[in-house]
Amino acid sequence: MRIDGTEATAEPRPGQCLRTYLREQGATAVKKGCDAGDCGACTVLLDGAPVQSCLVPAHRAADAEVVTAAGLGRFGPGGDPDADPEALHPVQRAFVEAAAFQCGFCTAGLVCTVAGTPPPVGELKGNLCRCTGYRSIRDALAGRVNTEVAEPGQAFGRAVVAPAAARVVSGREAYTLDEPAPPGLLHVAVLGSPHPHARIIRIDATAARRAPGVHLVLTHHDVPDTLYSTARHENRLDDPDDTRMLDPVLRFVGQRVAVAVAETPRQARAALALVDVEYETLPAVFDPEAARQPGAPLIHPGRTPDEHRVADASRNVVAQLHEEYAEPGHGGVDAALAASAATVEGTWTTDRVNHVALETHGARAWLSPGPSAGAEQPVLHVRTSTQVPFLVRDELARLLDLPEERVRVVAGRVGGGFGGKQELLVEDVVALAALRTGRPVQWELSREQQFTMVPCRHPMRIGVRAGADADGHLTALAIDVLADTGAYGNHAPGVLFHGVHESMAVYRAPNKRVDAESVYTNNVPSGAFRGYGLGQVQFAIEGAIDELAARLGIDPVEMRRRNVIRPGDPFVVGRPVDGDLEYGSYGLDQCLDLVEEALAREPSPVEPPPAVEPVETWLHGEWSVGTGVALAMIATIPPRGHFTHARVTVGADGDFVVDVGTAEFGNGTTTVHAQIAATELGVPVDRVRVRSSDTATAGYDTGAFGSAGSVVAGLAVQRAAQSLKTTLDSLSAGHLSGRTDAIAQIASTQLAGVWAEATHDGSPRSVAFNVHGFRVAVHRGTGEVRILRSVHAADAGVVINPEQLRGQIDGGVGQALGSAMTERMVVRDGVVVTRTLRHYRMPQLSDVPVTEVLFADTVDRLGPRGAKSMSEAPYNPVAPALANAIADATGVRPRDLPIQRDRLWELLGATSDR
Amino acid sequence: MRPYTFAQPRSVREALRGAGPDTAFLAGGTTLVDLMKLEVVTPERVVDINRLPLDGITLDHKGLHIGALERMSDVAADRRVRENYPMVAQALELSASAQLRNMASIGGNLLQRTRCGYFRDVSTPCNKREPGSGCSALEGINRGHAVLGTSDDCIASHPSDLAVPLVALSTVVHLASARGTRSVPLDTFYTLPGATPEVENVLRPNELITGITVPRSPWAAHSLYVKVRDRQSYEFALTSAAVALGMRGRTITSARVAAGGVGTRPWRLTAVERALTGRPATAATFEAAVVRAADGAQPREHNAFKPALLRRTLVRALTELQESR
Repeated sequence: MRIDGTEATAEPRPGQCLRTYLREQGATAVKKGCDAGDCGACTVLLDGAPVQSCLVPAHRAADAEVVTAAGLGRFGPGGDPDADPEALHPVQRAFVEAAAFQCGFCTAGLVCTVAGTPPPVGELKGNLCRCTGYRSIRDALAGRVNTEVAEPGQAFGRAVVAPAAARVVSGREAYTLDEPAPPGLLHVAVLGSPHPHARIIRIDATAARRAPGVHLVLTHHDVPDTLYSTARHENRLDDPDDTRMLDPVLRFVGQRVAVAVAETPRQARAALALVDVEYETLPAVFDPEAARQPGAPLIHPGRTPDEHRVADASRNVVAQLHEEYAEPGHGGVDAALAASAATVEGTWTTDRVNHVALETHGARAWLSPGPSAGAEQPVLHVRTSTQVPFLVRDELARLLDLPEERVRVVAGRVGGGFGGKQELLVEDVVALAALRTGRPVQWELSREQQFTMVPCRHPMRIGVRAGADADGHLTALAIDVLADTGAYGNHAPGVLFHGVHESMAVYRAPNKRVDAESVYTNNVPSGAFRGYGLGQVQFAIEGAIDELAARLGIDPVEMRRRNVIRPGDPFVVGRPVDGDLEYGSYGLDQCLDLVEEALAREPSPVEPPPAVEPVETWLHGEWSVGTGVALAMIATIPPRGHFTHARVTVGADGDFVVDVGTAEFGNGTTTVHAQIAATELGVPVDRVRVRSSDTATAGYDTGAFGSAGSVVAGLAVQRAAQSLKTTLDSLSAGHLSGRTDAIAQIASTQLAGVWAEATHDGSPRSVAFNVHGFRVAVHRGTGEVRILRSVHAADAGVVINPEQLRGQIDGGVGQALGSAMTERMVVRDGVVVTRTLRHYRMPQLSDVPVTEVLFADTVDRLGPRGAKSMSEAPYNPVAPALANAIADATGVRPRDLPIQRDRLWELLGATSDR
Repeated sequence: MRPYTFAQPRSVREALRGAGPDTAFLAGGTTLVDLMKLEVVTPERVVDINRLPLDGITLDHKGLHIGALERMSDVAADRRVRENYPMVAQALELSASAQLRNMASIGGNLLQRTRCGYFRDVSTPCNKREPGSGCSALEGINRGHAVLGTSDDCIASHPSDLAVPLVALSTVVHLASARGTRSVPLDTFYTLPGATPEVENVLRPNELITGITVPRSPWAAHSLYVKVRDRQSYEFALTSAAVALGMRGRTITSARVAAGGVGTRPWRLTAVERALTGRPATAATFEAAVVRAADGAQPREHNAFKPALLRRTLVRALTELQESR
């Protein structure tokens, strides 16, 4: 076999697929995303044709010519074998210039598919991308250039190329498991619980420990008996301590029962079959309403508010909020509703959805000599796919009883997160196994485990009561939220409190009430996911507001204008909010105007999705057309402190190095931080190198969540760069003054090693806004929904990188359309049935329309150079806007997500033939 | 994947030598390798048949002959197929993804296994995977499952798009074994699950598909495949319809109709064909012809929508085909 022009001589092992073989030969441009031929991340050219290498037995390719993304420039179609080894293929250049990637984990496979497919490339059915919403990929296919080169000092506000672009599109950027395997690497396999609720009566690992290749088997007898939460926050007391590394009580199907560590993954799995376990099954409960009723099986009995931060274990309630507020002179929600000109009361539900980051959770741990030569105590290294390296370090140190300086956690480029990697899910196992065996240890979750073990989005049931006077002014707004947190309470309080927070606060109403509970069940745990609860609650509130507008005969956009908060208004949830939330800038009014205007005019000349023929050829007869909008507000930073540290140093080569602890998982912070530093220093952006997410080289950072990467770490980078510039200006005064490139000059000559640093504590916080609008056509006969127009307006303050911001919005819209229309983790009696991507139905290129993205013009007085955060926010208004458009088209309001075709068909009363 | 022995023979005779119940023939591998990774199938011996001379697409007075190892992508792109059997090309292009079509063979497509989630999950009972263990889908999640041809032991739907137009067109499958060759109509090649859902066709353990013949017919050129699914691409059919009409003026002289997504095998609808024949190609004819299309359907908890959706899909396919003339 020739791999990228080089002869590979190693004999494939029996049963080895081509992807594994290629990666073992060092061809790590080939990624593993699903192992089932669904995602396309492992696509290579096999004798010129794109194939998914996970489904090709390595033997079959024995005489073949294999080209990966790393060799595409030289050995791909039209390539030049004599070119520079790092030469890009034209398709790869198009992806760079269109900024057609975010985390980039899917990109190496995508470019192989495109390069190997004769044009027109079509729908790209065999490649999934979770970050981009596919718009920028369409642009790359069409050869559009979305990026630009900025003059020195002018990078802020420009669509500069991500620094890692060339490495990402050629598969050279190293993700978590792409570094060469350290010698002696051992592999982990974990036995999952077959029962939704059971107690381990007896567990015997004797035979498993004697199995071939096995180095270690862990049961609950062998691990620290320390309670913790897999959720990671700045303050570890935000989450309940209800989890053990290995627990004799099993609370969901798939929960860890035992861990085997062996020379190969197969040997580790084989050992698990020899673990002898006797279970006592316990009564289980899967419905959160049933779980909080008297007599329900108790899932964490005995846990207390004070010690474990579980609100009411006797009702399975892990977190709750019950508040009512009436402005002076008002008599409360019930009285106000009774006196309102129009009222709405209804229940909305959202389902369980999965992050589907293309890179599954995975980590490696190993021990190395301590910082000083001859030190007795080795340092535990953990390379992991995480959004929160410092929080992982801190909790590992606590769990394993190690001083923090003996734990080093490093995240390289992370292949997508969306909140799913704000958890400690695999690092504890590899760390403990490395300590016990003294060998490097790796655990890579399978795609199936991503569905059965990794926390998903909290499903919620939201009751809304709302009233308005005849002029459409809200008189009362009350919500009753029930969240299913599953077997563990990781992120349960945070998601619940955040979910009801900005969603309630964005509307003015003199009477408000919030009842909210997050409840344990024996389902797979829920956790953090883009929007952090807001998307669910917003879906309900925006549906109710729309319905109220319809009852009153008021235009839905106008209805919102009359009721949204404006600068100076207090933030009121179930009572006025104390704290550090401010109107750093306000652009909600502009967002509403922008979407309304855009929906009223003809579409901009964007390319229609290829699957949809011109409207006039099909839009007649049973098709109904409607328009819908929805809005959302989000705080720009998580509450109660988000800390960061940045250092900018003059490098030996005259470049500038930014060290910052936050992680890059496709959110674009390395680009943005380079832009900020280059602008402050007055240098070209490619003179700045960002090194992130290494707890040994960067100062403390709370992590990449809560949309904090640009505005928290970004502000620290800005301050550090300003400080360094002041220093350099003073040092250069005298002999370089008057030169426009003074800093660049001085840096390249004399001052290597000069540095400056700064911190930020994440306070005060601002608010950002998003409004989405859809026009849809609904086919009454078959329940098919086609999106005719999709418009999104965002108030992100001053835009740092318009193409990246647009990409984040496209991606948020795409992800939201998945959970609005097709995605659903089907769970029955605690068993996740949808365990493959093919059954789970995340959107593909042809499922996502092109969205027209518009920006409000505001300058935030709190963020770096007037910027606000955005990454989570675009998700939140999408599902309600879609439901509102369908309601406008059909007169029937979908209240349950996802709005699957058969559900809508039933709602429309079309199940019987006409 | 469990270890196995691997052979790469160059002739059919060599491939069949020593083949037994624990042998798996590997063509494109898109189903087999996937199921081997899940340990749903665990052959001891894998025989790579890609070097056998089973390729080639020819068109003659008898019909269209396709070698078993022809790739889906090549057949879909073939001009003779597109012009004379459009619904065959359409069904192929509406299947899987470009990468999979580059790998998957025609023979393998006809033998692909069901996408029933319980079949693929070795931790649950499944009569097809482990005879006698029970059927998890009967009371489980069965939205995608079959409503026609089901039994008390299995309700798995047949996943192939290609097989639907092929069954409508009376395609013949050519088989070879150590004992010789034989040809079987595709419609009877597939068996109903009954009490033995592990048996899906009449293929013997040491027998190979060598190719297919789609008979020549004047109406095949006027044909259409419509697939109704949850999203725009890369999705198995909730329902699908393959329709071909022979016309004289406005009168239907002959009709070929089959349905996918609803049956435990591709489902030929001869009663619908009869109800269309000799009638004018009007909406009234179409509506009347499909009334009984799903007779005998046995819906379960989550797929009760399928009979009505099948009727609507058939009407849509007939209407769109008629409008395209």
